Amino acid sequence: MESGENPGRERVLGRIRSALKAPAAHHDSVAGDRPIFRVVTDPLERFQSECANNATECILVADADSAREALRSVLASVPSGEVYVEDASLPHRLLKELDGGHSVRWSSEGPPSESSQATVTTAECLVASHGSVLMTSSNGGRGASVVAPVHIVVATEAQLAPDLSAALARVKQSGVAERNSSLFLITGSSRTADIEKILVLGAHGPRRLVVILIRNPK
Amino acid sequence: MRKVSLFIPCFVDQLTPEVGLDTARVLRRIGCEIDFPEAQTCCGQPAFNTGYWDDARPIAARFLRVFHAADAIVCPSGSCTTMARNFYPELLAGTALAEEARSVGQRVFEFSEFMVKIAGVSDVGAQFPHRVAFHDACHSLRELHLKNEPRELLRKVAGLELVEMPRSEECCGFGGTFSTKFGTISAAMGETKAGNAEISGAEYLVSTDPSCLLHIDGVLRRRNSRVRTIHLAGILARTPAGAESPRTFSQARSAK
Amino acid sequence: MTTAAREFLRSATRETANLPARRAIRHAVDQYDAALERGRTQFLDWEAARQKCYEIKWEALNHLDRYLLEFEERVKARGGQVFWAETAEEARGYVAEVASRCGVRTVVKSKSMVTEEIHLTPALEKLGIRVFETDLGEFIMQLRNEPPFHIVTPAMHLTRSDIAKLFHEKLADAMTSGAAGDDPPELVAAARRALRQAFFSAEMGITGANFLVADAGMIAITTNEGNDRLGTALPRIHVAIAGIEKVIPRMGDLATLWPVLATAGTGQTITCYNTLIGGPRAPGEIDGPEEFHVVLLDNGRTDLLADAEQREVLHCVRCGSCLNACPVFRTVGGHAYHTTYSGPIGSVLTPHLRGLNEFQHLSYASSLCGACSSVCPVKIDLHHHLLHNRRNAVHEGDRPWQERIGFRMWRWAMSGSRRFAVMGWLGRSASRILQWLKLGGTRLDPLRPWTKYRAAPVIPRKSFRAMWRESGER
Repeated sequence: MESGENPGRERVLGRIRSALKAPAAHHDSVAGDRPIFRVVTDPLERFQSECANNATECILVADADSAREALRSVLASVPSGEVYVEDASLPHRLLKELDGGHSVRWSSEGPPSESSQATVTTAECLVASHGSVLMTSSNGGRGASVVAPVHIVVATEAQLAPDLSAALARVKQSGVAERNSSLFLITGSSRTADIEKILVLGAHGPRRLVVILIRNPK
Repeated sequence: MRKVSLFIPCFVDQLTPEVGLDTARVLRRIGCEIDFPEAQTCCGQPAFNTGYWDDARPIAARFLRVFHAADAIVCPSGSCTTMARNFYPELLAGTALAEEARSVGQRVFEFSEFMVKIAGVSDVGAQFPHRVAFHDACHSLRELHLKNEPRELLRKVAGLELVEMPRSEECCGFGGTFSTKFGTISAAMGETKAGNAEISGAEYLVSTDPSCLLHIDGVLRRRNSRVRTIHLAGILARTPAGAESPRTFSQARSAK
Repeated sequence: MTTAAREFLRSATRETANLPARRAIRHAVDQYDAALERGRTQFLDWEAARQKCYEIKWEALNHLDRYLLEFEERVKARGGQVFWAETAEEARGYVAEVASRCGVRTVVKSKSMVTEEIHLTPALEKLGIRVFETDLGEFIMQLRNEPPFHIVTPAMHLTRSDIAKLFHEKLADAMTSGAAGDDPPELVAAARRALRQAFFSAEMGITGANFLVADAGMIAITTNEGNDRLGTALPRIHVAIAGIEKVIPRMGDLATLWPVLATAGTGQTITCYNTLIGGPRAPGEIDGPEEFHVVLLDNGRTDLLADAEQREVLHCVRCGSCLNACPVFRTVGGHAYHTTYSGPIGSVLTPHLRGLNEFQHLSYASSLCGACSSVCPVKIDLHHHLLHNRRNAVHEGDRPWQERIGFRMWRWAMSGSRRFAVMGWLGRSASRILQWLKLGGTRLDPLRPWTKYRAAPVIPRKSFRAMWRESGER
């Protein structure tokens, strides 16, 4: 197939073109361009309340020092073992030393191990309207946000986008979407309701999603 | 004086005539001048719904001829009103009757719709001292967008206690030929509806659609339920002066 | 009656009597309805959201070739491969060829209705490949050797004890407690343990795609569990299969589609993982597959596209809300349909994909209540399309001759008021005689299709028109 053998392509395209010769009715909008979503007036406050709704642990801190402390505290609750960390400047600044029992594997060394206890990454941006984290495959790779039972995101208030429209426009227009093979919008921890519609957290992805949100990283 | 032409569905004419009589009574009470164009037969819905549009078309054309000059056409059935208003334009699209269909369609009203939205009346001086639950018939609800109008009328009835039943908007399972083609499913849906009516504690189940009521009534009587069915017009026709005992579907027809 | 119709009637009759399953469905629907009400509060205007999604889909479908070509070009620019499959066979063949070439022994699969439609798993298993469903509901159904019961909640008809029994039998190693526990978190943990090894050893991950984003050259996948994430991060090969109708013009469209899909699908404001994938691992990236393939499937969709009246049926985003709203689905469940797509969307769509003659019965197995159309987040006029299918079936001459004759007689009877009155009087009189002879409800009763399930209506002596005339009215 690599040689380009795909006779079905011309046949399908031909069928599409011929099918579209018949125009379909377009039911006019009854309401015009009515706003669909509530406007986000206070992104920080909205992000925090949405995180509370979707079981994301959002830890708001004032600066890098308190972020360091928050990260240490979260990791203290993680069983001993490998902690996989995105090799970027913010994680480096926040991870001066680790308590005994945890060993750091940087993303520059490769993907996370199957037995990673936690991962630490940055994000592309945060979405206030839904309490979501938008990441790319540059933020520690594809596996970093799903392989371990605990995923910790370190982000700054400046990264808050009010809503999905703004966040998606940002990654499209800045070329981030072009440069990365994948983008991930993550809202809360992995979950399922496939059994009697009862919500259970921690299906195949992380059981815990933690966002350490730094107001002023300087 | 408002002039109203009665559109009496074919099965009401033949199987539940009291619905037609009660409708006429109420309309007269609110001051309408009524006529019943005898030449009418059916709106064509049974054939249309089963896919036999070529057979439905001449019957629809006949309807349009019969009601051509009517000012307001009132029908005690949401499904038949839907046929004449919502579906005639599609059925007759591309024919010489397309415009006539649209014109007549704008003058056809379901009974409660006419009372509340056209005549502007919700209190007709009725009395019906019973607990009543309302079944939202599908065509009335989703095609004609009637939800509050029947309830407004019921709330003004002296002595009537209106309760909401669980899932009042869920289909009763009649669906025309569906009721016999897929009888088991239809009956199960009817049983669900009957069960919800019983849970509500209502003595009577009321609706705008006699076709739903025929089906639900059949299910209720098969399970010896104490819930009885009655058409909206049947309730509104009862006045203190009348002093008649309420006649349910079954009773009305077994009486003389 | 076709075989498919007979099979449906048999199953529907059996499932209608299956009260435990109906209770489970009722419970799931009640939960869903409550969640839906909560999820909708995120929208200032749910109707405006539906209209916006309708507009996006209308634009995409009515310029389908343009957007598919844009999508293909951008995917290929990122190093991905695009294969256009006119038939299910071509799609299966392509995936099998990729799997063989790459020496694939194990596949991890995300939930994809399209892979059910083309029966992909059996084709791969025939090559000796082990295929693991990784969505919990699909995994459960795979262990039971059954197809999914519902588009979004594949095991909605099962109780936790059904699932516990299954896991104790088939996943004994992964279950921790020796006791017969049926605690949902324990069951989920067992599934996670059982599948983890598959994720880490599989050579190929197969997914569907909820959307194909033309201006980005990326596929969009939505899950709550994250199984799609692992399946597209760890294996060497990623194959995504999607119907051609999944394309949307712009990434920005997802700002409306993602929340609407989540709300309609499960009542959430947004699903946990919404993933966009444009290619294999890009140069410099830490992980990800070496190869990325997108299979664009026709399999009858272009026939539906050509039907201008019903083209909008292709707007479907497979949210499952029409199934939840449908009183017929709630009564008989998803398996009774014996089709890949069940519920209202299945009833409308299947005749177009697999033939009207064989599948028209599903369009008739409906009371046309319209609940489906009222909930559809992309405003497909589902119940009216059931009617259109019925009309088309009649035009094709596919209906039973008794029915055709019946309506011809009906038309004759309704064409004159006097004959209508006479036929009505004859019918009523015959019914009353039958009832007097106590034949009502017996095998000899022509009203038996009615009276088998319900009390016969009391037949009035006089019609309305007779009474009206007698009362001296004009």
